[in-house]
Amino acid sequence: MSPTATDRAVALAGAFARWLPEQRWFAGKHRSIEAVTPVSAVPLGDVQPRLDHLVVEVRYATGEPERYQLLVGWRTALPEKLEHARIGTVGSHVGFAGLWDDELADLLLGALAGGEQHGGLVFRPEPGATITRGLPSRVVEVEQSNSSVVFDEESILKLFRRPTPGANPDVELNRALRRVGCPHVAPLLGEIGGELSGAAVSYGMLSAYAANSADGWAMATASVRDLFAEGDLKADEVGGDFAAEAHRLGAAVAAVHTDLVTALGSGQRDADGHAELSAAMIGRLADAVRTVPELARYAARLGAEFTAVADLTAPYPIQRIHGDLHLGQALRTPTGWLLIDFEGEPVKPLAERVRSDSPLRDVAGMLRSFDYAAEHLLVGEGADHQLEYRAQEWAARNRSAFTAGYTEAAGQDPGRHRTLLRAYELDKAVYEVVYEARHRPAWRWIPLRSIARMLGFEVPPPGDLPSA
Amino acid sequence: MSETTLRRPPEAGRTGPDDGRPDIDDGSYVTADGQVSHPVPDDFRSARSLPADPHWFKRAVFYEVLVRAFNDSSADGCGDLRGLTAKLDYLSWLGVDCLWLPPFYASPLRDGGYDISDFYQVLPEFGTVEDFVLLLDEAHQRGIRVITDLVMNHTSEAHPWFQESRRNPDGDYGDFYVWSDADERYPQARIIFVDTEESNWTFDPVRRQFYWHRFFSHQPDLNYDNPRVQEEMLSVLRFWLNLGIDGFRLDAVPYLFERDDTNCENLPETHAFLRSVRKVVEDEYPGRVLLAEANQWPTDVVEYFGDPDVGGDECHMAFHFPLMPRIFMAVRRESRFPISEIMAQTPAIPSGCQWGIFLRNHDELTLEMVSDEERDYMYGEYAKDPRMRANIGIRRRLAPLLDNDRDQLELFTAMLLSLPGSPILYYGDEIGMGDNIWLGDRDAVRTPMQWTPDRNAGFSQANPGRLYLPTIMDPIYGYQAINVESQLNSSSSLLHWTRRMIEIRKRHPAFALGDFHDLGGSNPSVLSYLREYRGHAEEGDESSPEIHDVVLCVNNLSRFPQPIELNLRQWEGWAPIELSGLVPFPPIGELPYLLTLPGHGFFWFQISPRDEVTS
Ligand SMILES: Nc1ncnc2c1ncn2[C@@H]1O[C@H](COP(=O)(O)OP(=O)(O)OP(=O)(O)O)[C@@H](O)[C@H]1O
Ligand SMILES: [Mg+2]
Repeated sequence: MSPTATDRAVALAGAFARWLPEQRWFAGKHRSIEAVTPVSAVPLGDVQPRLDHLVVEVRYATGEPERYQLLVGWRTALPEKLEHARIGTVGSHVGFAGLWDDELADLLLGALAGGEQHGGLVFRPEPGATITRGLPSRVVEVEQSNSSVVFDEESILKLFRRPTPGANPDVELNRALRRVGCPHVAPLLGEIGGELSGAAVSYGMLSAYAANSADGWAMATASVRDLFAEGDLKADEVGGDFAAEAHRLGAAVAAVHTDLVTALGSGQRDADGHAELSAAMIGRLADAVRTVPELARYAARLGAEFTAVADLTAPYPIQRIHGDLHLGQALRTPTGWLLIDFEGEPVKPLAERVRSDSPLRDVAGMLRSFDYAAEHLLVGEGADHQLEYRAQEWAARNRSAFTAGYTEAAGQDPGRHRTLLRAYELDKAVYEVVYEARHRPAWRWIPLRSIARMLGFEVPPPGDLPSA
Repeated sequence: MSETTLRRPPEAGRTGPDDGRPDIDDGSYVTADGQVSHPVPDDFRSARSLPADPHWFKRAVFYEVLVRAFNDSSADGCGDLRGLTAKLDYLSWLGVDCLWLPPFYASPLRDGGYDISDFYQVLPEFGTVEDFVLLLDEAHQRGIRVITDLVMNHTSEAHPWFQESRRNPDGDYGDFYVWSDADERYPQARIIFVDTEESNWTFDPVRRQFYWHRFFSHQPDLNYDNPRVQEEMLSVLRFWLNLGIDGFRLDAVPYLFERDDTNCENLPETHAFLRSVRKVVEDEYPGRVLLAEANQWPTDVVEYFGDPDVGGDECHMAFHFPLMPRIFMAVRRESRFPISEIMAQTPAIPSGCQWGIFLRNHDELTLEMVSDEERDYMYGEYAKDPRMRANIGIRRRLAPLLDNDRDQLELFTAMLLSLPGSPILYYGDEIGMGDNIWLGDRDAVRTPMQWTPDRNAGFSQANPGRLYLPTIMDPIYGYQAINVESQLNSSSSLLHWTRRMIEIRKRHPAFALGDFHDLGGSNPSVLSYLREYRGHAEEGDESSPEIHDVVLCVNNLSRFPQPIELNLRQWEGWAPIELSGLVPFPPIGELPYLLTLPGHGFFWFQISPRDEVTS
């Protein structure tokens, strides 16, 4: 076996280039890889099976290189059940995706529990956290930009696949919220941190696992399905009504916002700040119209809405926020709602994601999500006015229940800042149109319809008209 | 004031021929010197007893039956004890282990018999104490136990104790009730029947004082601070236990005592008295049970089990009230969280105790243990017609509540038989009987049992006009369509299905005795749980073999088919066997276990080590 972790990583470089594009979290699937080189390689323990912690740089034929965190396990023989995790062979050893191996996953837990240090890696348990070891583990198999391992029903370790210099907002905000005893987050148990090219970086976080939970998107869409199955009942008449849940969710989001202020303070956005925000929205709109021509007919009105933000003169409160809030980021547990994944909008640079912003951005994100939940079943179904009408009834009912819950808990109605809230919502919808056009073109009708509806245009049908 | 007033000592001609005592079926009477005299057990034969099994109630399937509604042997239009006795073979065939009879004592019947005017007499239209002993004897012969309600908190105002108490404040019964010159004491005690009562105090024009009552004003509360009241109640208990009864459902237990500056519920004095009742049962009648009716949160109800260090020293069982409305809510919302929530809030109970769980009973589906918002929701979903509502609840039977949907009926019953606790079936629900919301109060769900498609549903030979309540006759739920006889003849009927499920439940001690573990899962519409029992096949019997019984229950609360991935890593290498057909399913591997369920479908699996499946 090669003497150092770096040697082993270098020896696997070719295999990485084949293996990476098959991974869910790998962003460069459509780019051609030129080379994969280790930036950092740290062996975690020296008994068999081994685990190497790597950061590799992936260089492409064109464009910026990317860095990824990998955990490579080594065994002389790969058991049948780990065969799917194989990366490649070096000498008499097989390198494989180490997270799938119970024993190696537990090794990470042990390092966290013991507050160990390896090379540039620092495993830090949170003060007072209990970390239970020796549990069976499983890798979460959902569409995810990171990788998570669940340890039985106790804890969940999320490894950030794209380490970025600077404090990770997910860790930072969860830590702050745990400190003030916020009941709406999964308690943080520990962090894997370290240094990368001279800057502090976060590699992963361990949180308490919400064993009996389901996410808000699954709950909301079950409700919508129930509504669509009823002949002609209204959204408030069907058994699967979600409004009570939406109300509690609104209260939970407001409580998290309040706790974030308690923990990390708040500030104000002045006229300059509004001008900047307005300019950013207008800039994003201009880009979006170039990418999705269907936006053009709304562009003037959208522009007017965004320009109105620049006219706001009164200072508005800003604070740390979630930044990427939608129904999928909320987990319903038997004791209430939890919010997860405080990383902010993934496409934005870190510096932007950790900036204070208006909590209205989060509210707008959730409001958009209700529209999505209501309309996603219509996608590709052709026009059905009855269903479309009822979908909107569902969305309206749950948006207002969410807002009412938020208002009750926050003591203030987010809707009172109408200009700003609308702008955030429209800005989000514009972002969604672009995202959908790139990834799920049939779904772009959801945000397009919302934009038309909000601006008072005739609402287009939820799908492309059949070509003549 | 009811017309049932004090009876004088029976005339000479009606006294027993040799002992000079009054006819025993006349129950209690007031002697010339104002003493209330009660019969003693020796006046009667006792029923044969069943083997003393201290844990029988933990595994029993209960069946609530209203004597009035089950079977009329005397052609007077009203069911009776002998009629019920004649149907024991049916109940034994169904798999019932214990009957719960709501009160059958003498009563003016202004509160369904919960207003007792003589604890020592059977309501004449139901029969006699001897008929009751016969019922017990025949039931025990079939291995069926019988419990009944004991209303300890209050009596009817027609009870001789109350009549003496109001007449003679300084007499022996003067302190049997809670009297006061003013109606202001205990202001923190809530009024339970909010739609009929304005105060917990009512002025008595005879004694010219106010008396305390937590329920109706015709049900004065007994004064448990008086040791004689406690003794009298223990005598009542001993009387029936001597005859062979297997236990009591203690009605309205939280309210026995009153104290200033409290809400007069769950007081320490009440618990102390219950411990003394339990001690009598333990010392003198081992194997008989006390079942508490305390409509409270599970965290408060567990207090009624008593000290966990000794396995419980108050009641053996208690109803789990909040679970039932949440089962309904969960299925309508297609979300497991209403159930998961309440199960997560249900504390562990002492080792010698068990919950009693039910879907429906003779009362309305009570909504006291849900929030206002949830109550509105339940009304909206299950009681759209205001006639379906009563007090704080819904007066409907299971089948009409579920639109007579067979899949849902099965799903609900499967959950009743597999969630932690001893299930209590309500008479008629095993055949999917309907209700009659045009009948007043709670009578909607108390109509005659439907035995056959013949006249009066086979319930009575009386002229139909004389029935205590009309039979159900609508085309869907009427006795022509829904009756025991036709369901017995069809192996696919709800009745046969229910019987099979009870049978399966009994084959697996995990259902009754196992730990409960909610498995969660990413699909909110699916409720899955494991029940796991490790111990002796006969709990408490060290000589019976050691077993490890694991049952997996998966319930689709949605009307649509649903997939579910279960985390069963702990059972890797074990294999599920579906319990209704004993079909082996693929073994559990390292990956999440994938199942798909039809709309409102459910599975019960036994989980066995793989070698046991293949052999
Ligand atoms: N504390 C927790 N308890 C239970 N499940 C959790 C917990 N945290 C996260 N999950 C589940 O793990 C999955 C991934 O979580 P998360 O959203 O944090 O990952 P992510 O990689 O940041 O996702 P994305 O790519 O969408 O940003 C989600 O499906 C979520 O339901
Ligand atoms: Mg009769």
